[in-house]
This record gives sequence, structure tokens and C-alpha cells, in this order.
Amino acid sequence: MKKNRLRKTVQIFFLVFIALIAVNHTLAETGAAIPLIGNASLHAVCPFGGVVSLYQLITAGTFVKKAHESNLVLMLIVFASALLLGPLFCGWVCPFGTVQELVSKLGRKLFKKKFNRFIPYSFDRYLRFLRYALLAWVVFMTARSGQLVFANVDPYYALFQFWTGEVAVSGFIALGVTLALSLFVERPFCKYACPYGAVLGLFNLIRIIPLKRNSSSCISCKKCDRACPMNIPLSGAGSVRNHQCIACFECTSTDGVCPVPGTLEFRTGSFEKSAKTGEAE
Amino acid sequence: MKITAKTAALILPLFFLVGILSTMAAGYWATESSKTPVKYETGEFAGEYNPADIRGSYSFGDIENVFGIPVDSLARAFGFTGEEDPSAIQAKLFEEVYGIVDGKEVGTDSLRYFVALYLGLPYEPDEETALPQPALSVLKKEAALSEETLAEVESRLVSLETVRLETDAVAETEHEEALDTTIKGKTTFADLYTWGLTEDQVRQGLGGLEPGARGTAVRDYCTEAGIEFSTVKTALQEMVDNL
Repeated sequence: MKKNRLRKTVQIFFLVFIALIAVNHTLAETGAAIPLIGNASLHAVCPFGGVVSLYQLITAGTFVKKAHESNLVLMLIVFASALLLGPLFCGWVCPFGTVQELVSKLGRKLFKKKFNRFIPYSFDRYLRFLRYALLAWVVFMTARSGQLVFANVDPYYALFQFWTGEVAVSGFIALGVTLALSLFVERPFCKYACPYGAVLGLFNLIRIIPLKRNSSSCISCKKCDRACPMNIPLSGAGSVRNHQCIACFECTSTDGVCPVPGTLEFRTGSFEKSAKTGEAE
Repeated sequence: MKITAKTAALILPLFFLVGILSTMAAGYWATESSKTPVKYETGEFAGEYNPADIRGSYSFGDIENVFGIPVDSLARAFGFTGEEDPSAIQAKLFEEVYGIVDGKEVGTDSLRYFVALYLGLPYEPDEETALPQPALSVLKKEAALSEETLAEVESRLVSLETVRLETDAVAETEHEEALDTTIKGKTTFADLYTWGLTEDQVRQGLGGLEPGARGTAVRDYCTEAGIEFSTVKTALQEMVDNL
């Protein structure tokens, strides 16, 4: 298997898996569920449900409507992985991230090198904080109402529940806008609007195994900068702790575009020390 | 330590597997409501189930199991006495059946309110929460409510008759529309056939032209064919009226 195909395979697996669960939930309501496939509701398998339930769970000991114990468990699992490597969930699992990437393939063909480079990074870097404002709004409103308020504007929910009649018009609009923007920008929802991505992004600041760049071997070809779907300027960094990293490995020298071995890696310890002990290769 | 994509690909699936299986084994994993509400933790009612945690998925049977209110009483209170299996009726059905009546809402919160009133438990319903009229009779008979509480309940009552009248009015309009055989702008060829005209009669009304597709509106057909809709309409209407 080609290196860069591994992430795609995992992503497609989770995309299909979640789609099947969503469809099976509808089928189960009519008594026609496909055996051996889970039929939980889409809400019940979303780790973000755990995050927005936290306030109510702590203050009243209950989950918000449509959230369950599964949400809390999934949230903790994803947090554990994020503590280790950062937002692996975003880069490898999130079905909506995968859908945006699939649409972006078309955008890349249409706009070639211009794709994902429409907004200057100096301006764009501030826009990336929008998702924290959205996160604060979602957490506050959910705590106040006891309901999953984000579902009404959640394009992910709209995509995987469009046939149920439960999706608000605002959800469909959010979905349409996101898919349209994906033709110009890689993962627009993740960059600017995903409240769960905002939470997981914070783990980049404290992850145990960070992405590190070996400045002594780096040839400054900037291939990593161009490969990064989140437009992070990696070629000038030492230890990458950018809150937008999705741990996709596209930039690395182990599995991505970096042409110099032992230069851009997810690792602990220093490159020099590893070189002496022969670990880097 | 260096992490490659191969290791990264294994981490989350492995974490999911271990996390989900271990919480399943511990009996914590749940993807749907357990139908067991939380209990009051402090105060006079500490240890009793809290009606505030009743969800839309709770059925009358679940309420009977947890709160001990008979299904019959619940069915009478919410106007479901004619149902074959009232124990299976879920609170979320209220919104579908009643929804907003006179600016008030009969929904899941109504059931929470009713349960709290029935058992004398503290609960603050939403401002627009309403109860169907029969709920008051049930509460008067089976619960011990103060005059003050009864007055509060009365201010939140909606008549089931109103709901039925509104539903009947909609049905009546639909029925009348179905019976109305006046040719209008949206009348299709299919409507004409349904009212009893034959294809030959329609052809005759069209001045010998071949009728359009069944789903086509007669007026659209006339516009397209360049003939006067009003002339065709008069001819066809006469035939329909003579049927």
C-alpha cells in the first residue's frame, strides 16, 4: 500500500461506517435494520456530544437531550488520542473532514496551484479563531437550553441525516456553503467553523508527541508548506504546536512530502540525540 | 520515539475498540436513553426520580414503570384512550398530534409537568407548556392538588376539541377541494378524467386537438397550443356539469 493511501483508507472506512450507522438507524425505526451494523443515532456516536454535555453532566448529573453515555466515552477516547498526537480524529476519522477532502479534489483540479491559497495567511490566520467563538456559543447555548443546538446549523448532521426530515433549513444551507467552499479551500469547515476541531486543536499545544522539524537537515524546499491542508507554515517552525494541525502526516519525512529523511517527524526527543543513537533512520 | 503514519492509523481504531469494549463490559456504554431518569440529589425529595429528566422517547409504559402512574390515567389525561396499546405511546408523539394549540404547546414538557403534578414533585414547566383538558379531570380525581396549583393548571389547559376542530377543518377543506369540479388554472387533464370525462369528450372540448399528458394543466396546454383557455374551459365545464 502506498504511504499516502493509508490515511485515505482509514478515512473512507470511517465515512462508510458512520453512513451505514446513520442509515441503519432509520431502517431500525421501520423494523428493517441491517443485522450486525450498529443502529445508534448519529448524535449518540458523536464525541462532540460529550463536550457539550459536560456542563449539564457536572451541574445536574444528566446528559443534554439526545446525548448519552456513549458520547462521553467517545469524547474521552478522542481526547486521549489527542493528548498523545493531537487531533488525529480530525485528520483520520472525522467523516465530514473526509467529505470536504473529496470535494476539494475537484477544486484542486480546477484551480491547480491557486487552490487553498486564495486567502493570504497573514489575514487567514486570524479568521481561524472564528471556530473558538462558535465553540463558546455552542457550549453556552447547549448549557442554557439542555438541547443539542448545534444540530440546527451542523453541516455534518445535515449530510448524514438529510433523508430524515429532521434537518433544519439552516443545516442544509451550512452544508451547501461548506461543500461549495471546499472547491476553493481545503477543509473550510474545519478551519473556520468546527467547534469540535477547536477543542481538539488545543491539544496541539500540549500533545506528548509533537511534530518536529530538524532545522539542520531541512533544505527549505517548502514542500511541507504546500502539502499542509491547513496552510500551516511548517518550514519556519521548530516544534510545530499550531492549533490548526490535524496530524495528517502529509508533511512528514516518514510518510509525506518531505524529501529529506529525519527532517519532519512526529517524535519525542531531539533529532541530534536520535542521530547519535541511530534512531532517526 | 518516532511515530509513523502506520502507528497513527492504529491508534484511534485501537483506542475506540478498547474504550468501547471496556465500557460495554463495565455496563456503562449506552447509545440510547436508559428510560431511568435521574433522581433528586438533595432536598425533601432526594432519592426520588426527577420528572425533569423525562425524554421524548419515554412511553406511557416507561412512566408507569418508573413513576408508578397507571398507563390508563396517562392515556386518559392526554386523550389516547382509543389506542390499541397506550403503553407504547411516546411523549414525542404529543408534538405531532397536538403541537401548538392556541399559542401553547403540548409536548414532552407537558408529560414532565403532569407527572410532577400527579406525584406532588417540584417542577417548573416552560412558559408555553400546556396540558390537554382531560389532564385536569385526572389530576382532580387522582392527585391531591392545592387550589393554587389547580388554578395554575387551569391557566395552562388546552381543549382537545380545539385540536380536533382544527384537524377536522383541514380535512374538510381538503375534502371540499377534492369534490370541487370547477375547472381552474391548475386543473390537469388527469382531473378531468377523474371527474368522469372521456378522452373523446376532452378532445371535443379542445376543438379536435389531441389532449395533453395527464399531469399537464389544461391552461398550460392551451397557452402552448395557442388556443383560448376561456373558450376551452367553458366547453369542458359544460360537459363536466352535465355528467
